[in-house]
Amino acid sequence: MNVRSQVSMVFHLDKCIGCHTCSIACKNIWTDRKGTEYMWWNNVETKPGTGFPTAWEDQEKYNGGWKVEDGTLALRSQSRTKSVVNMFHHPNLPTLDDYYHPWTYDYKNLFDAPEGSDQPIARPISMVTGEPVAIESGPNWDDDLGGSPVYAEHDRNLEGLSEEQRQQLFAVERLVFFYFPRICNHCLNPACVAACPSGALYKRGEDGIVLVDQTRCRAWRACIAACPYKKVYFNWSTGKSEKCILCFPRLETGQAPACFHSCVGRIRYLGVLLYDADRLEEAASRPDDELVEAQRSLILDPFDPQVIAAAAANGVHDSVIESAQRSPVYQFVKVWKVALPPHIEYRTMPMLFYVPPMAPVMANRGQGVVDSVSDDLFHDIEAARVPLQFLGNLFGAGHDAKVRYALRKQKAVRWHRRAETVGDVDRATADRMLREADCTAEEAEAIYRLTSLCTFEERFVIPPMHREEALQMLEEPMEHKQAAGFGFIKAPRRGV
Amino acid sequence: MRLIVRRLVPLALLLGVLPGPLSEASAQDTAAFFRQNCASCHTIGGGRLTGPDLKGVAARKDRAWLAHFIVSPRRVLDSGDPYAQQLLQEARGVVMPDVAGMTPQLAEALLDLIAAESALPKSQFAGVAVPTRPFTAADVERGRALFRGDERLVNGAPACLSCHAVRGVGGLGGGHLAPDLTKVYERLQGRKGLATWLNAPPTPTMQSLFAGRALTDAELQPLVAYFEHAATQGGEDPKTGLLTFVLLGLGATVVGLVTMDAAWRSRLVSVRRALVERSRLARS
Repeated sequence: MNVRSQVSMVFHLDKCIGCHTCSIACKNIWTDRKGTEYMWWNNVETKPGTGFPTAWEDQEKYNGGWKVEDGTLALRSQSRTKSVVNMFHHPNLPTLDDYYHPWTYDYKNLFDAPEGSDQPIARPISMVTGEPVAIESGPNWDDDLGGSPVYAEHDRNLEGLSEEQRQQLFAVERLVFFYFPRICNHCLNPACVAACPSGALYKRGEDGIVLVDQTRCRAWRACIAACPYKKVYFNWSTGKSEKCILCFPRLETGQAPACFHSCVGRIRYLGVLLYDADRLEEAASRPDDELVEAQRSLILDPFDPQVIAAAAANGVHDSVIESAQRSPVYQFVKVWKVALPPHIEYRTMPMLFYVPPMAPVMANRGQGVVDSVSDDLFHDIEAARVPLQFLGNLFGAGHDAKVRYALRKQKAVRWHRRAETVGDVDRATADRMLREADCTAEEAEAIYRLTSLCTFEERFVIPPMHREEALQMLEEPMEHKQAAGFGFIKAPRRGV
Repeated sequence: MRLIVRRLVPLALLLGVLPGPLSEASAQDTAAFFRQNCASCHTIGGGRLTGPDLKGVAARKDRAWLAHFIVSPRRVLDSGDPYAQQLLQEARGVVMPDVAGMTPQLAEALLDLIAAESALPKSQFAGVAVPTRPFTAADVERGRALFRGDERLVNGAPACLSCHAVRGVGGLGGGHLAPDLTKVYERLQGRKGLATWLNAPPTPTMQSLFAGRALTDAELQPLVAYFEHAATQGGEDPKTGLLTFVLLGLGATVVGLVTMDAAWRSRLVSVRRALVERSRLARS
């Protein structure tokens, strides 16, 4: 048993209101520099939709992630041969158009325009060249089903849905969408790290955050092709790849990452998981329908004395183990089993989990009156407007069993609370639902508390990073103290 | 603690080195030095190469003069010494270079070595035995095979062709990293000079490549035969060789670019634009 710690995340999609506050918080802190204009380390997508960059889930085009070849894992986009063949051009990279051409407006013109017969206007101008541009798309161009005949209908997760189901998804009075915020998943088996020819990407030993070493990056861009979630971006100004750093400078000082901190819907949870790195490869090579369970089995019980001993022997600090015991992520993923990894079939073992969203039930329209087909407006899972198959494609590698389990449990919690507070549901029905959903009243209460009444400290259980100990391995702490301060030791250099 | 250690270690090293006596170069080291630095121009009892045969050199000139000359031949020459001038003439104007790392102590050790080797009936520095008989076509052919790397060198050294060219050896005349060897036979003044040079290459690049991978006698002779053949038979004009090389390079570049352009036709096609285009077509 090779126990390691991983800072992991849960996004509760049932609570996301799609306000993009997270994206803006991230943008303002990290990607408002030259060369990063088009990057959105955090973005919020509408599902169904093609997302950002366009159709990132289409691995036939982008070739991201891993495949199982003769029983072993192999990258889809990179191999010894391909690294030579694709030396001058990598055929699987998104183009700038697939992201979007970043633009701003020529506000200066509003003040400086010569006097004329018309109002001056602020024309859209490119943030890259400064020239006027025609806006063709943006990072959330298909927000709230915008342009759905072009974008939403080409969502890869619609595969396997009947023609009728597809039509219903977009029919007036029946259409439905939900939000899907995305950051880097800080995977256990990151394809970007494996693909880098320069060894510039690495997974931090103490907390599993995946980072790009800006001095070692040589602009091969193999990481961008390899990441199936398209969460590594290329800075055209510095000629280096950049990605979500999970705000590690904030984590190291005990603060939640900016997107977590600013989340209006309080959908985000962060905590440490302990996992067994020895069984990682075996778990990632399992057949599609076993992957979710295989990943769960990697996550270890932080209360198990054997696990604690093995973790301590592996250099995991006591305070981190203690933090893992309070982790909300452990509850959602391993204990309650209501949070699921996105597209686990890419086999990178993402460590950002999603609680699948509840959806209203299907409606009928007869004689000008809209009528729902079920009395349980928000609770009939099979009749929900988002087909289970769609959620199964997104969160279950094409299999809906795990999604159904998670939704049933959420539904049972609602009925349980309804019996408690509103009283229009009798206790016996609520208890039966809890039993059917493999849930006890205590568990339902705990899920309810962590979902609805959670405090800041309950949502973000940030492990102590012990930078002082890491520092001690590299230099004399007293010397470091004298040399620390503001400014750059080595100023960032523009240009390739 | 670590700081103290860090500062003390270099000091300790310094102290450890200084008081130690400057060790006498052992006889074996001197012989190795001779082989590496002297043997390509001098033999001991093997006749003259570029420089004179050193057998019994002590009888020809006094030891103090010799030691002085070895340390810096250039200085002695510049001082107008008549014997040095005579040597220069005998060597057809080739000046003996100042040998890197030469010290008065080492010069003395070398003179000792030369004296000891001169006393032997056959010195280890008598030079390579090269037959005086005319080389056969088979010798030349084998030499060409070794040069081109068709036949591997026994001790694992890289084939000559990787860096050197000889006119007419192949389509492009060989590598251009190192000197053209077409006339090397003439430059090194015949079989003996060439064979000795190849036996213990004196230049730093060759030394690093051939350290521990020396050519065997069975390889030396065919190579000498091949170089002799190349020098006498000539070959095509070097300028035409270069022109072919440049033109071929240009052609390959063009073919490469065209192939890449064809193979990556889709590089400017964006996923999003294709989606928009497809649904526009579907609606119309």
